[in-house]
Amino acid sequence: MRHRIVLQNITHSFEDGGMRRVVLDNLNVSVAEGELVAVMGPSGSGKSTFLSIAGALLEPTSGDVLVDGQSVIGKAHQELSDMRLHKLGFIFQSANLIPYLKVEEQLLFVAKQGGVDKKQATGRARELLQKLGLTHRRSSYPEKLSGGERQRVAIARALMNDPAVLLADEPTASLDASRGMDVVRMIAGEAKEQGKAAIMVTHDERVLPLCDRVLYLEEGRLVAH
Amino acid sequence: MYLAIREMRFSKVRYTLIATIMLLVSFLVLFVTGLARGLAYDNAASIENMEATHFLMEKDSNHRFTRSQVGAEALEQAKSIAGENNAQPLGVRMTTVTLEEYKLDVTLLAVEPEGWLTPPAAQGSSLEEAGVGSVLVDSKLKDSGVRIGSTLVDQASGMKWTVAGFVDRESFSHSPAVFLSEHDWRQLQQVAAARSGMPTDTTYSAIAVKAGKQQAERLAAALPDNEIVTKSEAVSAIPGYKEEQGSLMMMIVFLFVISAFVLAVFFYVITIQKSSQFGILKAIGTRASYLAGSVALQVLLLCLGSLTISVLLVQALESVLPSGMPFQLPASTLALTSGAFLAMSLAGSLLSVWKVSRINALDAIGRTAA
Repeated sequence: MRHRIVLQNITHSFEDGGMRRVVLDNLNVSVAEGELVAVMGPSGSGKSTFLSIAGALLEPTSGDVLVDGQSVIGKAHQELSDMRLHKLGFIFQSANLIPYLKVEEQLLFVAKQGGVDKKQATGRARELLQKLGLTHRRSSYPEKLSGGERQRVAIARALMNDPAVLLADEPTASLDASRGMDVVRMIAGEAKEQGKAAIMVTHDERVLPLCDRVLYLEEGRLVAH
Repeated sequence: MYLAIREMRFSKVRYTLIATIMLLVSFLVLFVTGLARGLAYDNAASIENMEATHFLMEKDSNHRFTRSQVGAEALEQAKSIAGENNAQPLGVRMTTVTLEEYKLDVTLLAVEPEGWLTPPAAQGSSLEEAGVGSVLVDSKLKDSGVRIGSTLVDQASGMKWTVAGFVDRESFSHSPAVFLSEHDWRQLQQVAAARSGMPTDTTYSAIAVKAGKQQAERLAAALPDNEIVTKSEAVSAIPGYKEEQGSLMMMIVFLFVISAFVLAVFFYVITIQKSSQFGILKAIGTRASYLAGSVALQVLLLCLGSLTISVLLVQALESVLPSGMPFQLPASTLALTSGAFLAMSLAGSLLSVWKVSRINALDAIGRTAA
């Protein structure tokens, strides 16, 4: 079993009113291909910080992040951009699609940024949309979609450049129970089928049965209960 | 490219509004520029039309034709340095003439009838053919009832001239030009001298010279009592020229600055409004340089679009303007103005480009809405 993302001894702290606040304290986690890991924790426990570090958006005070064995620490802005583009797929809290791009264009834009050939990109976009049941919504703007559809487009967008890791930031927060279940089921399914590592920050307990592991962020560390 | 165009397609109303403002401002810029050029030409047309490169004037005349007096010996010297054919005497006097009972303000321009300062007649006979006592007048005087064969009487000297023909677009300090021969000019001076009781030698207002830089320097050295003035210096010393152009120039500069600010504010507000969207785009791996380029491209497209329409509008307007309206917008001025407008607009987008580059991708995490 291959570990697609590994966080080693991650410590993150910052100055807050003259006090040193340690958000993450020597955190370790590895996620293998095909695995969906849920990260739970009360607000303020550092879930967002954890996800930002795993997603190469924030550099930790110390420790290392390896994506497919490649370290993201100490890289220039542009290299990090490219890494996020090719290796990491983000799914945000409320889809956060680009309002002026049609569904298919959302996917094609990501492919274009990644330098994928246009014909190949169109093929992959069609395939993904079909798999996620969005073919009939191909040329709609996000404002015309339901919350569940939007989140499915976000999943398709995250998968477009065939990343190693899927990172989801409370993907069910703005959905009702059954839509939320559908979305998480899709993330889990894609991770399994395409051999991706998936990390989902959530506080929606209903979706936990769909996850392979559930970790709790407590005192700056991830622990299993 | 991809984002910029699709966003404009999506938010049509928003971008149409700003394009309309740009259109109005650029139209005004072009119109005022055309007016400034037209007025400048109307003011100094006769001097502008002359093929001279320099004018030899009296020292301390402040480059003004009407104040300067240059003697015949200076003309001879100028001819010997610049070449027989490259120096011509020029007399300039602003005066009032009467046509029957009407009074007309005109500028008398005395030239050698066969010389290169004399404009070709658009109607009637040339100054050379018409002979002594005849004048060529600007065709604007037709509106005041002047016809070929009319007699103009100089109010100051009482001299009478017959209109032999008309010339097009000839004026000095906004007054229509009356071309008379050098012979008549001498007579005019004699009459004036006799009235004041102080007989004087014949003088001219200036000597028009066609000369290169070195010849001009040699002329200046050879004639210490005179000053050699370039054509553009002479033009801007025409009474009212600088003041008129200055105030129009100020309007144009202000319009440029306003258009840059309007764009800067518009795009800055939009950029701030979209900052979380830019954060998302950065988080999913879009480079900051791509996003900044996208903003700059939108500014460029808006500006080019509105400029194109306003250029067409201005040209349409030019074709329906009455011929008496001083308006001129040659291609070179048009290109220069459009270029400056484009540059100012791009300068206005810099603030937003800077803002985009500062937006943090981290903002994307933990947000509830785009």
